[in-house]
Amino acid sequence: MSAATQPVIETLGLVKNFGRTRALDGLNLSVAAGEIHGFLGPNGAGKSTTLRVLLGLIRPTAGTARVFGLDPWADPVATHRDIAYVPGDVSLWPNLSGGEVIDLLTGLRGGADGNLRRELIEEFEFDPRKKARTYSKGNRQKVALIAAFARPARLYLLDEPSAGLDPVMDAVFRRHIERVSRGGATVLLSSHILSEVEQLCDRITIIRSGTAVETGTLGELRHLKRTHFRVIGLSEPARLAALPGMHEISIDGAVAEFDADAADLGAVLAGIAEPGISGLSVAPPSLESLFLRHYSDRTESEAR
Amino acid sequence: MSGVLRLFLFQARRDRVTLPVWILGIALLGFATSSAVVTQFGDEPSQAAILTLAASNPAFLFLRGLPDGTGVGAVVFFQGFAFTAVLAGLMSTFLVVRHTRTDEELGRAELLGSVPLPRAASLAATLLLGAAANMLLAMFLAAGFVAAGLPVPGAVGAGAAVGAVGVFFVGLAAAVAQVLPSGRSANGAAAGLVGAAYLLRGVGDALGAPAADLLHVGSAWPSLLSPIGWGQRVRPFTSPDLSALLVLLAAALVLAAAAVLIRRRRDVGASLLPQRDGRERAGAGGTSFVGLAWRLQRSTLAGWCVGAAVLGAVAGALGPLVSETVSSVAPLKELISRLVPGGQAGLIDVFVTALLGVAGVFAAAAGIQAVLRMRAEETEGRAEALLAAPATRARWLGANLLIAAASAVGVSGTAGVTAAIGLGLSGTSSGPAMSLVPAAMAHIPAALVFLAAAAVVFAAAPRLSVLLGWGMLATGLVLGEFGELFGLPVWLQDVSPFRHSPAMPVEPFDPGGALALAAIAAALAGLAAYSLRRRDLTA
Repeated sequence: MSAATQPVIETLGLVKNFGRTRALDGLNLSVAAGEIHGFLGPNGAGKSTTLRVLLGLIRPTAGTARVFGLDPWADPVATHRDIAYVPGDVSLWPNLSGGEVIDLLTGLRGGADGNLRRELIEEFEFDPRKKARTYSKGNRQKVALIAAFARPARLYLLDEPSAGLDPVMDAVFRRHIERVSRGGATVLLSSHILSEVEQLCDRITIIRSGTAVETGTLGELRHLKRTHFRVIGLSEPARLAALPGMHEISIDGAVAEFDADAADLGAVLAGIAEPGISGLSVAPPSLESLFLRHYSDRTESEAR
Repeated sequence: MSGVLRLFLFQARRDRVTLPVWILGIALLGFATSSAVVTQFGDEPSQAAILTLAASNPAFLFLRGLPDGTGVGAVVFFQGFAFTAVLAGLMSTFLVVRHTRTDEELGRAELLGSVPLPRAASLAATLLLGAAANMLLAMFLAAGFVAAGLPVPGAVGAGAAVGAVGVFFVGLAAAVAQVLPSGRSANGAAAGLVGAAYLLRGVGDALGAPAADLLHVGSAWPSLLSPIGWGQRVRPFTSPDLSALLVLLAAALVLAAAAVLIRRRRDVGASLLPQRDGRERAGAGGTSFVGLAWRLQRSTLAGWCVGAAVLGAVAGALGPLVSETVSSVAPLKELISRLVPGGQAGLIDVFVTALLGVAGVFAAAAGIQAVLRMRAEETEGRAEALLAAPATRARWLGANLLIAAASAVGVSGTAGVTAAIGLGLSGTSSGPAMSLVPAAMAHIPAALVFLAAAAVVFAAAPRLSVLLGWGMLATGLVLGEFGELFGLPVWLQDVSPFRHSPAMPVEPFDPGGALALAAIAAALAGLAAYSLRRRDLTA
């Protein structure tokens, strides 16, 4: 395999046991150079465990993990040289100021880009002089993000990076993801905030109970998506069930709610077009539905 | 009131493991000390011998307390009270800070602040818990003494004396928690005050005047500044004086009331000394493992150095004074000339040696604290961010070990230098004062063994590192300080590295022993680096 086509991250059959708990159960994950890869899964699915394996902080029980073609457990130093990492639960040194923590974390990687550091602190509206023990969750997150972005890296491992950020700060965060991506960097972004992944990511891997259950581009996964409708004033709501691609219909007096498959939207719209309608809301297509349905389906089929 | 009671039960439940360990541990130590005294000093002549020996040796008085006549109970109280009271004080201060300032700092107090209860309800519950814990401690201690065969009234009085000192420190820690902004600083300051109480009592006792029979020593005025000194005045086995207990409890009440008043008038999270802003940029040293380890250790180290400085100054400056006091009693002078080679000068050396030995324990403790900080970094999730940098774990470990070793050197050196200055200023010529610097430094190799051993535990059995790290030091201390008293076999006593530090200036320096200890420490450090590379980072 040539260097150009070699994935930046590749895991094969990754297994990690903690005592009797199996955190990873044969995980396959492949992230190509230059892509923003969404790593989606509910809490406890194994996202953080995967990132720790990729950093060589923990050793896989079985299977292989390669980052830049290197084994991170055997050679953490060489692997880390071009990695910026934002942990899922940012914990800081209570008696150091935010600015000092940023300098420490970037300093260990070879030093921050001064301009970038200043810009990030300004854009994130961050006060670097306060002691870390006084920071809120959002501010601690900012410290980790500024430290990660203040120095160029080839790979960004971000574990639920926008947790605790308000929408304005979230936009700043996304702008910087796009900036490093334009520069050719690879990003692995774990999240359960689906809109974030949807807006940013080229490809997505969905993980559940330590196994990748779905991988593909947004387009490839779009067929699984449904649109949510809320219609008021249908003359015969019971007829809805006869339309194609309908799911989870609920009728409460004049209000009808249902989900429709993307492929059948035309037929559905034609079916509900009638003079008596007094209200209509359509939720934009979101991964939320895919995500929820995917896991609820799986859980149901497993339960049977 | 039922709200306070509910909070009390909740806090007690949070402490359901910690407090029983403290209480039973202290009670067990009391029982072991008493049984040892009963077996070793059962008859009056042997009791008189040990008391006379103590009265003639200010170091003994400084470290242990005041001889108060023969009788098993009196000997037990003299041998064990000060140390037990320190433990009760630490139990109390940690308890109070854990439920007050630490909870506020971590935001848990805010959650409770939203319930319909007075602002100081949680603090009141903590004060109750502290009082209850010390009452239980008093009862268990008394039970331990009785089980070892001590008279019941004295046993109860001795337990109460320890409990009252503990209650005093409950009040003191509650006040400290209102003043300082973080749990760490409050814990440090409160524990420092416990140490100060022990030292003040030690100074007062070492300067105390021996009675003519050499079986009693009365304390000098500094003991009256110390709650532990007041607890000692209870004298439960000879002439019980309950007014000393009342003094302690009244002082505790005043302190607790002040804490409650402050708490009722202040914002949640606020403190009399506010949290200051930090620097905007890290200094030149702030971007490396060594720099970080130093940054995290320096305030702790400053605390240990202050303790060592006080100890050293006491040793140097007070040595000549105490030996004079003792020698002014004619029969003692004769006894000393038989016991201690070199007469008065030799006596100073013995006093200084004992105190420098304690400074060696401080040095080991400061180093262990630096090593165990790695475990805190790991459990609190910060090590993960550090080790995601392109640097090996061995480098991280090495940086922390370097700062730990430097701490041990710093603490020992401080004790030695202050002892030399103290001795120099006191104007007594008992050999060159500067010889006290190497005497203090002679304990460094043993301290290095402790901190390297703590590093091995951190690397190989991380979950046990705090328990074993401090447990090894405590074991070493007990083997060294109490090993002979308990009549433990010599090989067991020899397990403690402290036993292999030369007691300079009484003994000559032993380069072979120092080298052997240093080699053991280096081997342990290598083993730690090897093991750390082979384990998962736990989150």
